[in-house]
Amino acid sequence: MATDNSFARLMKSYGRLTIFLIPIGIAVNFVGGQIALLLKLPLYLDSIGTILVGATCGALPGALVGLLSNAINSITSPPTFAFAILNVLFGLLAGLLGRYGVFKSWWKTLLSAIPFAFIGGFGGALITIWVLGGAAVGGTGLVVGSLVAAGMPVNTANFVAQLPIDLVDKVPTVLIVFAIISGIPRRLMVKLPLGYVYLSPSGGGPGTGATGASRVR
Amino acid sequence: MRRCGGAVVLVSLHDVRFTYAFTEGPALDGVTLELEPGLLHGVVGMNASGKSTLCALIRGVVPHFHEGTLEGDVQVLGRDLSDWDPADLSQTIGCVFDNPFTQISGIKDTVFEEIAIGLENLGVPREAMIQRVKEVVERLGLQALIRKNPNELSGGQRQKVAFASIIAMDTDFIVIDEPTSQLDPEASEEIFGVIDQLRRHGKSVVLVEHKIDLLARYADSIVVMKEGRVVMHGPTRDVLTSDALLDANVPPPEVTALARDLADAGKELPFMPITRSEAYQAISRRMEGRPRGHHTA
Amino acid sequence: MSADQDRGGAAIRAEDFIDGFRRPATQGNRVRDMNPISVFLVLGSLAVIAVAVPGIVAPSTVCVVLVLISLAGGVGRPFIGNFSRLFVAIGLLLFVLRSAFAGGTPVLFTIGAITVSMEGVLEGLRFALVVMAISGTVTLYFALIPIKYSMLALELKGVTPRATYVLLAAFQAITDLGKNARVIMDAQKARGIETEGNFVQRVRAFVPVLAPVFLSAIAATEEKAIALDARAFNSRVNHSHLVTLRPTPAWEVVFVAIAILCAVVACAGAVVPWY
Repeated sequence: MATDNSFARLMKSYGRLTIFLIPIGIAVNFVGGQIALLLKLPLYLDSIGTILVGATCGALPGALVGLLSNAINSITSPPTFAFAILNVLFGLLAGLLGRYGVFKSWWKTLLSAIPFAFIGGFGGALITIWVLGGAAVGGTGLVVGSLVAAGMPVNTANFVAQLPIDLVDKVPTVLIVFAIISGIPRRLMVKLPLGYVYLSPSGGGPGTGATGASRVR
Repeated sequence: MRRCGGAVVLVSLHDVRFTYAFTEGPALDGVTLELEPGLLHGVVGMNASGKSTLCALIRGVVPHFHEGTLEGDVQVLGRDLSDWDPADLSQTIGCVFDNPFTQISGIKDTVFEEIAIGLENLGVPREAMIQRVKEVVERLGLQALIRKNPNELSGGQRQKVAFASIIAMDTDFIVIDEPTSQLDPEASEEIFGVIDQLRRHGKSVVLVEHKIDLLARYADSIVVMKEGRVVMHGPTRDVLTSDALLDANVPPPEVTALARDLADAGKELPFMPITRSEAYQAISRRMEGRPRGHHTA
Repeated sequence: MSADQDRGGAAIRAEDFIDGFRRPATQGNRVRDMNPISVFLVLGSLAVIAVAVPGIVAPSTVCVVLVLISLAGGVGRPFIGNFSRLFVAIGLLLFVLRSAFAGGTPVLFTIGAITVSMEGVLEGLRFALVVMAISGTVTLYFALIPIKYSMLALELKGVTPRATYVLLAAFQAITDLGKNARVIMDAQKARGIETEGNFVQRVRAFVPVLAPVFLSAIAATEEKAIALDARAFNSRVNHSHLVTLRPTPAWEVVFVAIAILCAVVACAGAVVPWY
């Protein structure tokens, strides 16, 4: 049947709620970015949704959120698509870490910012150099630009700049993901593919948030 | 199949108990209930009395979507709940609930297409779809909205569109859970008009509502719930004038409460009204028996 | 116009609107009425040509062709505006940076550590033009074809509606969530949460604002799932479509074939340089 192709089967194996969370994850990415601009924060904050969906629904849904968010951004700024692989990696990593319960405790979550920042910073620098010839854009571009003007070779400038910038961005990102996961009510969590990780009592985990009992009508 | 007066019983619950996963205490605690088809059944009760769980159960949302432990015998449209395919069941029984925002799909940019969404998913041929949507648009008076973007409508308008897309699927049985709780009085009246239309078309409706005055006008039977149990189930008039309603902490219709107060003050009305028009009749009749003029003594 | 005439007019317009569904969807323009997949293939071929053929003539020609197509498609003004902005914001930057660090001969001039050569300039120019050509095809595609028609074309070719749902719902979710976030932000401002102030303060303002907004959006997905389920979203029947695209005319097929052929030739040329 036309509707029973591999995408449909994949989604089915992830459960009914995943397919509805992917658009929300994409929206969270965008709104995070918009608010960061609104508050004039020198951060991207555009991967909250990717990591959130990866941590709660699994690696592939997370990767899909990252990919689609990047694709939608690329409509208005096509060179952004060069960085699509990074967003995919964020999602995959979030799924992997989520499965191991990293997002159950705040300090493990905090530490997870490091591998995310490494992907974003190192990978970002690599792609900026390979694809864009070292021409970083936006706020990062300003930092890279000033380093180059100070005499640093452009490749080094990219690496020096992008890693710390990404770390500063990923720390609040993962903490917000932790805060959101802590607030997901148990009755909803049980419907998510990786919900079992957060519902099992092992390790110092986040609270159960609003309990299911209050949702009984 | 269970039969009742020649028709298949709409819903039959026998000693049903359901507890949501991760909660303490059952949401439904020994519910026994039989509903006849072709009628509008109102369901009333305080918050957390199990009304919404009952609706979810009838549609199979509980236990297929909301996990938990289900005990007891549940038959829907003559078939045991466990024999129903969940997708079939949710397509056989229409459902409208209180949030106008989550019932708009968000993927269509005209109301006309939004109403057709269920029909598209069911593979209905285009011409039949167009006819059906036109019919529903006319019945619900949505002509002015068909070109508008459903994501830009007001709450009341969205709720009407939500109704329209379910009605377009032409199910014989619709479960409606507090459709007017987020709407103003005017929009609520319009929605109740839509629901009354459904009843007059011979549909079976289960309607959970707090607005008891509106239920008094339109419902054929009322189910009163309290703490997960059915406290009373009977014809509207019997239930609304009974004490079971008060026991369940459900406020009776305004006019019924008024009549009770009058009775307590020694000025009993000839009969207990449940709607405004009945109250008018009752009060007029009582006043006819009175001499003209007004004495303070 | 009297009220009755007004009502009559409105009824006729409504009937026209409904009747529109009986005909294939049209945007009123030859180019934009092409099947989205055809447009994708043609623009894709142009992008391939820009990349495969060396030198600066190919990508610059492609850029010009894109502008011409945008004019034929009736989206000239917005496209040219966006395209120019891209040129200035990204194209120029890429050109400058690439030329500055490319090295090569003959040297034109030197500024400090940066040596600019003719080769470098040409390389920078080509690089910038190729990126612009590719970016231009993407921008032009979305200027010509609204997302919903792209999704419809995919569905008509057999892609599951659940996949197209995800993308279409994402766009709406971005709008809705953005609105909700803005409402909460304004409420927070009124309550005195610092939206100005130093960096840490602003980050601290961020979390209590956003977590509840995101959480309520997540919680709403439960109801959304039930509502869509009630609208037969999970039905295993082949979906039908209210809106349809016109059947592909012969000229369109030929046109696409020619475009793909050119792209193939260009690629072949990159492997076996016959030019």
